[in-house]
Amino acid sequence: MIAPEVLNEWYPVAMAAHIRAGQRRVTQLLGQPITVALQGGAIVVTGQGGALHVTEAFGHVWACPGTPAHPLFPIPEALETGRRLVDVGVVRVKCSPLRAVENFLDIAHFPFVHTDVLGAEPHTEVNRYEVQIREDSDEVWATKVTFYQPQAAKSAEGGIVTQYMYRVPAPTAAVLYKTCPVRPDAWDVIGIFVQPLSEDLCDVWPWMALYDDTTPQADLIAFQQMIFLQDRSILENQIPRLLPLDPGMEIPTQADLTSIAYRRWLKKRGLTYGAQMVAA
Amino acid sequence: MTPRWIATGLSQDLPKAVAMAGHWQGQDLAVWRSATGRVQAWNDRCPHRGMRLSHGFVRGETLACIYHGWVYGADGVCKHIPAHPALTPPATIRVAAFACVEQDGVIWVAPADTVGAPVALRGLQPLRSISLTCDVAAVLAVEPALSGGDALRGLVQIGGQACEVCLLVQHNAAGLTLHALCAVGVDRIAASRWVEDLRRRAERKGAA
Ligand code: FES
Ligand SMILES: [Fe+2]
Repeated sequence: MIAPEVLNEWYPVAMAAHIRAGQRRVTQLLGQPITVALQGGAIVVTGQGGALHVTEAFGHVWACPGTPAHPLFPIPEALETGRRLVDVGVVRVKCSPLRAVENFLDIAHFPFVHTDVLGAEPHTEVNRYEVQIREDSDEVWATKVTFYQPQAAKSAEGGIVTQYMYRVPAPTAAVLYKTCPVRPDAWDVIGIFVQPLSEDLCDVWPWMALYDDTTPQADLIAFQQMIFLQDRSILENQIPRLLPLDPGMEIPTQADLTSIAYRRWLKKRGLTYGAQMVAA
Repeated sequence: MTPRWIATGLSQDLPKAVAMAGHWQGQDLAVWRSATGRVQAWNDRCPHRGMRLSHGFVRGETLACIYHGWVYGADGVCKHIPAHPALTPPATIRVAAFACVEQDGVIWVAPADTVGAPVALRGLQPLRSISLTCDVAAVLAVEPALSGGDALRGLVQIGGQACEVCLLVQHNAAGLTLHALCAVGVDRIAASRWVEDLRRRAERKGAA
């Protein structure tokens, strides 16, 4: 039995453009088979019990298998003029969807997993940053995050101290804002939308809204894909595959404040699909 | 009875400053050799966020986790957390170590409280490790000259001559791994081919 709190959330299930172009996507959501297809000009998601609630945003199709507890979260920056929306495609990862999100919120791994790109020794220190669960939106936010990066983005030349903000607006989605190398007054926005196929298998859709008019689309995609494949080599080798929510199984430090808040938030809201509750 | 000491690899396959995956009765281990040559076997799980330590990297006499670079010293105690360079990690952050000895060119592992040493393999030289998708019964069925349970021994025909071999058995989820040794002086290439042939025959038998 999957908890109603889990069923009443929104999950990404397809790229809208692919479905509009006539493709059918036969896939899975929370362990159940679903089909995403075009019917009479509308995108329809069908499960064993009939049609699911559907909405379209950020180029993706989102489905809710229960009764939506709230509308899908907004990303206001996605609508700003001058930004390029880049979808990177889908990456299948053998891990809990929650582990995929948590890894996305983590900066301490940059020097070791994205060596010489998003981080490099000896610049490994994670300075104190601020984390809160925002009452109004019920989202996890981390702000005032800074990190030294050798090549922060495809458009960056040389090392810079990058500023970050992280946001968890849904159990299996996260968005980050980072210093934009070509426009210091603006933030690049990068997200991951994670489709929980089952508790320990997911499809991850990286997504970007950038101020970058010069880098070819293919290079932007290749850059982000390289980053994500490096993350996948980690995600598929964490034990256990589920995300432990009970303290004691893993040892966080101050650098993990975002992850700690994310785990608490999941637990408090009963969003435990993909989580391990009791230490094994 | 389950043996305490299990062969998890051959010394020749673990160079200095390298980590590899091993296991003891279904327990995953990170087996690594330090820069000076010392081999250790630890629980294959970093206490921080559960990453496999067998994917980590060796620096000097320490093993570091590939995810966030936490550094573990010879006794499995965390010595350094790169995200907090000024912090001395509490001694409670440690990886459980297994007993690990190198003997006769074989890397043996056992639970930490194990007393005594693995069986000595006099007059034998390490040959190679090979994984099979069948069980021990299939191996014994195709090579009746072998006998034993966790070490299959016997005189077999290699290149027209009777040669002593010893196959150390390590069970895993997909079947088993055999760590093969043969008598000193036997042609290693011919012996290696014999091992491959044995695998083919045993797997065919196992699938039948
Ligand atoms: S999981 Fe090993 S250092 Fe973080
Ligand atoms: Fe990463």
